[in-house]
Amino acid sequence: MTDNRPRLPLKPLSALAFGVGVALISSQAEAHLVTTGLGPVYDGISHFALAPEDLIPVLALGLLAGLRGKEHGRRMLVVLPAAWLLGGLVGLAAGAPASTSVSWIPFVLIGGLVATDVQLSVRVTMALSALLGLFHGYQNGAAMEQAGPGVLGLAGIAANVFVLVTLIAAFVITLRADWTRIGVRVAGSWVAAIGLLLLGWTFR
Amino acid sequence: MTSPRNLLLARLLLTLLASLLFQPRGALAHESRPAYLQISEIAPDRYDVIWRTPVLSGMRLPVVLKLPDGARELGESFVQESPGSLLERQKIEITGGLGGKRIDFVGLQATITDVLVRMATLGGAHSTILVHPAQSYVDLEASRGLLATAGTFLVSGVEHILLGVDHLLFILGLLLIVKSTWMLVKTITAFTIAHSITLAIATLGYAQIPTPPLNAAIALSILFLGPEIIRSWRGETSFTIRSPWVVAFAFGLLHGFGFASGLTAIGLPSTEIPLALLMFNLGVEIGQLAFVALILLLARAFTVLEMKWPRQVEMLPAAAVGSLGAFWTIERLAMMLAGAP
Repeated sequence: MTDNRPRLPLKPLSALAFGVGVALISSQAEAHLVTTGLGPVYDGISHFALAPEDLIPVLALGLLAGLRGKEHGRRMLVVLPAAWLLGGLVGLAAGAPASTSVSWIPFVLIGGLVATDVQLSVRVTMALSALLGLFHGYQNGAAMEQAGPGVLGLAGIAANVFVLVTLIAAFVITLRADWTRIGVRVAGSWVAAIGLLLLGWTFR
Repeated sequence: MTSPRNLLLARLLLTLLASLLFQPRGALAHESRPAYLQISEIAPDRYDVIWRTPVLSGMRLPVVLKLPDGARELGESFVQESPGSLLERQKIEITGGLGGKRIDFVGLQATITDVLVRMATLGGAHSTILVHPAQSYVDLEASRGLLATAGTFLVSGVEHILLGVDHLLFILGLLLIVKSTWMLVKTITAFTIAHSITLAIATLGYAQIPTPPLNAAIALSILFLGPEIIRSWRGETSFTIRSPWVVAFAFGLLHGFGFASGLTAIGLPSTEIPLALLMFNLGVEIGQLAFVALILLLARAFTVLEMKWPRQVEMLPAAAVGSLGAFWTIERLAMMLAGAP
């Protein structure tokens, strides 16, 4: 039976973002990228930077790790990029992107956890990181299998994830005043709200 | 009921589609296929022009592209014939740019063919205009101001360094060697002064280094830092570790020639060299400082998180600097010896 429900426009958006990123990079200073052979890494970096469906959950995870403490942050900056890379390699091999109709789940789940500031064990945080990394990495890998940057592109994305989650988690940990913590929770509620909007779009 | 405006829009879209799907298939060939003119600004006052005209039964469209007075060709034009079209490509320079000037399509009045004109500026703006036989010319938009030109070179400078992994790795190598904030300031300042000097010298045409040996030397500068980082982390000392700013200055002179090649590759308008040089260099500095800030922020974040890396992982940045430097050195030397341009 054919599923005729409208799909979230994430995949086209992602593809568009990827195309724009590649075009931006390839139109400027390509001599460098050719002589160093690291053009695909930049393709991956620009892909991630231009894909809000990847970027926002990672931001939210960074906020969550920061709220939960140093131990969570330390482990997440290893687990999340590693899972992303692993999922990406599987996606590269498989070549077919998974359904995007579940893309709202990380937004709602992680955003909700940040907003409610729930106490979580390190294991739970790491499980969330691993799941998110594997899912999004798989999607990226499948997209890259079709577009070309391959493993180096995935390395660029994983590096981006690593830098972003490290900086966000450390930044939140340094926040001392109560109101700043509330600000972080508000940001989490926005992420959850975006997820709910995506959910509404999925079932509209 | 379809309005004339909608008809015009539909025609424009169809023409655009036709130009994109322009295939040399005889069955589809007829005189109403559009000609196509693409003008891409590659530098202020410089343009890459692609002019494609349909060919029917070996006869090309009797339309001649007439660029504005004062436009002069840079180098030889490239012509490619295919069964269904003729493509001409050339680079041109025109003082004051194409903005506000008119391009004529001589002979278009006698045909039933349209010309699709696409214009792309350095600032990223695109425009598409459909020229009809009834009005066989196009007036291009007025030229960009000084501010827009300055912005273009500023962005080019930022992009040049941020996409230049070799320059970034050299800076990373320096950051891994310096041991105090004051030494960091001295080292980065020395690198900046040095590359600014040679960037200006090369851009103004006082000195040039051929690209192959220059690229090899830049790679060598990165390779040079690899063992120094290891030495520094082992607690040993050397001239580089004691005075990294001297090394930064010396190799910065080389990297400046590299930046100059990036600037001249974009193309320099003869009337705006000082502005272009200033803004490009400023862009390089902004990109460089942003990279330094990112590395320092990361180091601070590791401290906040009380991150303790295994010894092998700690060595990764040094290994990356050294091994990539070695790889590029060998690769570029091989290319140089093979006579690559």
